[in-house]
Amino acid sequence: MRGHCGLFFESYRAEAAVFPSTFQRVCLGLFVAALLACPFMLSSYYVSVMNLIFIAVIGAVSLNLLTGVCGQISLGHGAFIGVGAYAAAQASLHGAPFLAALVLGGFAAALAGMVFGVPSLRLKGIYLAIATLAAQLILEYVFLHWESVTGGSRGLVVNAPQILGYSFDTERKTFYLLLAVTSLCLLCVTNVLRSRHGRAFVSIRDFYLSAEIAGVNLFSSKLAAFGLSSFLAGVAGGLWAHYTMFISAEQFGIGLSVSYLAMIIIGGLGSVSGSVMGAAFMTLLPEFLNAGSSALSGVLPDISGSIVALREGVFGLVLVLFLVFEPEGLANRWRLIKAYWKLYPFSH
Amino acid sequence: MKRMLKCVALGVALMSLVLGGCGGEKKDDKAASAKEIKIGGIIDLSGPTSSVGVPYAEGVKAGAAYLNGKGGVAGMKINLDVQDDAYNVQQGLSIYKKFAQDKVAAIQGFGTNVTEALMRTTAKDEIPFFSASYSAHLTDPKSAPYNFFTSADYSTQMRAALKYFKDNWKESRKPRLALLYPDHPYGLSPIQAGKDYAAELGFDLVGTANVDLKAIDATTQLLPLKDKKPDFIWCGGTTPSTSVILKDAKKIGLKATFFTNIWGTDENLIKMAGDASEGVVSLQTAAVYGQDVPGMKIILEASKNQPQMTHYIRGFVSMLVMGEGIRLAAAKGPVTGPSIKAALETMKDFDLQGLAPSVSYLPSDHRPSMAVFLYKVGGGKLTFLAQETLERKAEWLGK
Repeated sequence: MRGHCGLFFESYRAEAAVFPSTFQRVCLGLFVAALLACPFMLSSYYVSVMNLIFIAVIGAVSLNLLTGVCGQISLGHGAFIGVGAYAAAQASLHGAPFLAALVLGGFAAALAGMVFGVPSLRLKGIYLAIATLAAQLILEYVFLHWESVTGGSRGLVVNAPQILGYSFDTERKTFYLLLAVTSLCLLCVTNVLRSRHGRAFVSIRDFYLSAEIAGVNLFSSKLAAFGLSSFLAGVAGGLWAHYTMFISAEQFGIGLSVSYLAMIIIGGLGSVSGSVMGAAFMTLLPEFLNAGSSALSGVLPDISGSIVALREGVFGLVLVLFLVFEPEGLANRWRLIKAYWKLYPFSH
Repeated sequence: MKRMLKCVALGVALMSLVLGGCGGEKKDDKAASAKEIKIGGIIDLSGPTSSVGVPYAEGVKAGAAYLNGKGGVAGMKINLDVQDDAYNVQQGLSIYKKFAQDKVAAIQGFGTNVTEALMRTTAKDEIPFFSASYSAHLTDPKSAPYNFFTSADYSTQMRAALKYFKDNWKESRKPRLALLYPDHPYGLSPIQAGKDYAAELGFDLVGTANVDLKAIDATTQLLPLKDKKPDFIWCGGTTPSTSVILKDAKKIGLKATFFTNIWGTDENLIKMAGDASEGVVSLQTAAVYGQDVPGMKIILEASKNQPQMTHYIRGFVSMLVMGEGIRLAAAKGPVTGPSIKAALETMKDFDLQGLAPSVSYLPSDHRPSMAVFLYKVGGGKLTFLAQETLERKAEWLGK
């Protein structure tokens, strides 16, 4: 159109733009418009599934920042989400406005994340995984036993989010709130990745010694990664608490941490769009399997029991197949699909 | 080319999933008709508690089939749709949203985590929620207005056992009590109530220890207890952890009366622990299969004489009580969530023919009954020991 094909950059700044081409901006605009229209077109069940996806996206992108970008594996992410959930819940129970409570939850989680991130200076890989696993177990214990704050085994009752007197008490209203917060979080992470800190994170992941020689302060950068990642996890937790209106220790177990790791591995380590795809995939898979198994059990009612058992197996199988055939995640597959169509029909 | 094939295969797989999903929904729509009442079921059929969830779900289904066989409830056929939450909050939540959209009249739930996570939402959507999580705090309508269950809560169960032991205590010294429980919301739920009541009745609490739900060894917890010679030991876990405790106690020669709640002893425990389970006192709130009670012939019929676990009967009872609530609501007007709730709260001594203690609810008190059945394991089966009925004390509500 303008006399050239493809994308050419004349400055680093231009190359690092979040949306480098007009086409991308148009696509994104259409996508956002479609999202905004969703609550009007879809039934409340589908909207509720999308709400779950939004929360999962924030959790996944925050873990991806820590594990995918900075290379610090964390098995305590579920617990950091829990810290945010309890802190935000307590803040709003004590009269803080919802947004302030959300931010407070984020800061509480960031603090917890940074405390448990301290060992990361000495520990790497599997050792750090075990150290963060300890964080998960310790925090779970705290959730269960610090009764005055967490409600102990009885859990904590939270109110629906309210901003300036406007209550987000239906799925559709919550959808817009979650969409806004999720977009903010995604923009935040995308921008961090373009900054000096983001590049420092990547250099630490690729080789810590080179990073240090290049002038990256390993300790502060790793702590910053833990802090920022846990902050966003805390925001996800705060949203979860206000969305379900009830939190208990069981919700933030090791299973949650593992499922977030699965999301970023399936989506693509180190990629923001990968986190989104991984979160959507992991949230939708059980829904599809549910729908599939109930459809099958309608045809073959006698074996509905074994289909249910099979479903769990299928879930595992899909994950394994993904790891084998898509080791670089959905984000990479998406890139390949785009590349294929870019050159179509002259791909060779 | 290979890559293309892979893409196509992946696409086909996804498409079939999507199409399968759509197929399922269409059928549901067709099934709906005017003379029908929709009931949702959110039960763990494949997760960590599925060994008790599956028989419970079968019981709920059999209960619905039984009511439908009698011509339905107030002329309406019960259309029960049981979905599997795999004991996972997210899955439970999304199943619930689907039910809420389908306008189910009430829900048969199951596990603690999903029940509690939905506590506020069901109240907001005004959908009565029957659970098999018997935590005492669910009986307080102030915090859980739409939650119901049909069994005495965990705290009441433990209190009933303590009362029974105390009443049958012959020696002049104080009975010694020890508590073993998992450090988990479910395990912790009755502990404070139990401790308080034990002190009130004059038990000597000689020890407490945590045994995890997934424990494979309990000797470290049991050895220190052995020297303290407890007479009664509470095992507050589920059947796998109870069987570990029983086997290890036998191994180290610790002799005491072990007692457990609903989920700590069932027909499976006898298979798992063998001889070690002899003498265990089991607290139940539903009859055991084949027990000589008037209602058993319904169960025998419903199960086609295939022996079932006690959880099956409890599921069955839960459905019967829900059905009675719907019938009472229909007698007064249109059947909606709030009208079922209001009708349930007028329920007074609903007779379950010995399958379970009779059930009553009050607007300010959702404790279904204060009666607990005690069974003793002997000769490889559960034998009825006694029914212990406690006073409905106001200060125990929700605790």
